[in-house]
Amino acid sequence: MPSLARLAALLGGLVFCASAMAADVDAESYGYPLANPFEATIATTPPELRPTLPADGDIRQRDYSVRLRPDREFELLDNFWPVTKLRYRLAQQNGRAPLIFIISGTGAHYASGTTEYLKKLFYGAGFHVVQLSSPTSYDFMAAASRSATPGYSPDDADDLYRAMQAVRAQHPKLEVSEFLLTGYSLGALHAAFVSQLDETRRAFDFKRVLLLNPPVNLYTSVSNLDKLVQTKVQGIDNSTNFYDLVLGKLTRYFNDKGYLDINEAMLYDFQQSKEKLSDEQMAMLIGTSFRFSSADIVFTSDLLNRRGLITPRDYRITESTSLTPFFQMALRCDFDCYIAEQLMPMWRARYDGGSLNQLIDKSSLYALEDYLKGSDKVSVMHNADDLILGPGDIGFLRRTFGDRLTLYPRGGHCGNLNYRVNSDAMLEFFRG
Amino acid sequence: MVKHSTLILALLLASGQTLAEGQVDADGFTNPLQNLQFNPGLDQQEFERASSDALQVYDPLESWNRRVYHFNYRFDQWVFLPVVDGYRYVTPNLVQTGVHNFFNNLGEIPTLVNSVLQLKGKRAMNSTARLLFNTILGVGGVWDPATKMGLPRLSEDFGQTLGYYGVPAGPYLMLPLLGPSNLRDTGGLVADYSLENAVNYLDVADASRSNPGITVLRVVDTRANTGFRYGQLNTPFEYEKLRFFYHESRKLKIAD
Repeated sequence: MPSLARLAALLGGLVFCASAMAADVDAESYGYPLANPFEATIATTPPELRPTLPADGDIRQRDYSVRLRPDREFELLDNFWPVTKLRYRLAQQNGRAPLIFIISGTGAHYASGTTEYLKKLFYGAGFHVVQLSSPTSYDFMAAASRSATPGYSPDDADDLYRAMQAVRAQHPKLEVSEFLLTGYSLGALHAAFVSQLDETRRAFDFKRVLLLNPPVNLYTSVSNLDKLVQTKVQGIDNSTNFYDLVLGKLTRYFNDKGYLDINEAMLYDFQQSKEKLSDEQMAMLIGTSFRFSSADIVFTSDLLNRRGLITPRDYRITESTSLTPFFQMALRCDFDCYIAEQLMPMWRARYDGGSLNQLIDKSSLYALEDYLKGSDKVSVMHNADDLILGPGDIGFLRRTFGDRLTLYPRGGHCGNLNYRVNSDAMLEFFRG
Repeated sequence: MVKHSTLILALLLASGQTLAEGQVDADGFTNPLQNLQFNPGLDQQEFERASSDALQVYDPLESWNRRVYHFNYRFDQWVFLPVVDGYRYVTPNLVQTGVHNFFNNLGEIPTLVNSVLQLKGKRAMNSTARLLFNTILGVGGVWDPATKMGLPRLSEDFGQTLGYYGVPAGPYLMLPLLGPSNLRDTGGLVADYSLENAVNYLDVADASRSNPGITVLRVVDTRANTGFRYGQLNTPFEYEKLRFFYHESRKLKIAD
């Protein structure tokens, strides 16, 4: 009998070891207050539960720019003068410290809210910090992207890698003890590709890489985002469009309150009031913000490549030219339309490419499965209620990352990045 | 038979309930999109319609406005922001806050007058109390004890007063150095400026005339405390978005 027990224990142990378990954080002990993923995505963490961050005045930082594509200065039309060089922000410590690169999410600027937050967090922990725009953002596409047609992750990572090398070369006196890398949302997917690229190019030899809420299947994610503007929203009719609806709610809310005061705490109060937005309305709002990103990508990519889909090929644009008609046209094209009309044709022409499925496979985390399985330095943090995931995606993360996956029960898409529990976990990971 | 159908009914009810609560799959994924109600054909054009409406801001001077936008953008990058950075670098934080409070306190005068003009008694009282506490206890407005006493700073300008009485916004205007505005609010700006000169509170208006440094300091302080940076929206359509935000935020301010 005892031998049987021992055998059972051994087998149990084997089973346990075979699948190194992901760290699942359970809902009760986690303590993140927003159970609604849409609310979490929009409002993020209530101010009192956020980590303490250094004040802007205490951060030694500046914006710099690097010239990566000298030809663009001549190619780009007059009113693109601000984006002929790639701008980025560097916050530096006194003396030797680790340097962390932060890659922003879809369409996001290097100085956008989440990137700024991460900078403060890591700067406060004693790192040099470099903030980079997303390869899908207007400035990066114009100043740093070779194809100016973002979406094929290996190429986007290559563009990022060159930009990062140029940034490093611009600060030869900066004393760096080791290099670290992180990214959120689409930037996390890019970080994974950049990390793989670094294994052969070795310019940085990243010590640790952290992926925050990455898309697993890029197409699932963009389809989800495209779908968000298709929710059935109550209260819309011929005379009231969606923005009127939201602004009307805000107006009534402030009238009840007695005065206008837009701040971070207001969002939580607003969602407690009788004017609160329904899930469908919040989904529409999130979808809207991504549709504006896709409009920027559609317009910029078309113009830089002179494809003639939005802007006629030889149209003269000066500083006084109205772009409103082109904006209106670009707004009609969502991510799916962008992939079909611009990304796929470009990718097929360049790489003798095949089907959409092949493009998706090569641009998603699947392409890196073997690399990620064997790379102990790469970890991922994700949420069980993230809007950009589809069924099976978390299973893929569990199989690929094992115990290097931390799965939080709440937070929506990136809503818990500024929750104290998460920020502590991030710092702990990088301090290792 | 009866027993069977009740069982089936119970099962159906139970499954309906779990569906409503949302299913968590074996991986632990809660699939937040499954509980949303979608348009059946997924061909709703609401985003396109609303955004298209949002672009309809009356802007007959668009090509002039766009040139001014680019001028402001350059001026900001090459002159304004470097000056603001220099000011921040040489001035201790405490002094910066004092300067900011001081000018805010002066701005309480137009707020008071415009609250009265709009017959907003409560707001006028709030403004009067702030003016008294901050000028006397706050030593001429350098400190802001009123906010700590629960009297928030609320601003009302003459453009809002005009809007309150139904004056339409008029054509959108991009003002050199000052940024987005419209005909009504530009008129309001002039009125508020003349008012401050006429009241000459704490002798600042007179002193500025002989010492332009005060005006420059006020301009730098205003820029230092305005969060907006040209290019921060990071889109080729920043002009359009700025126009929409300005238009809507003024409507909100007039309504409250």
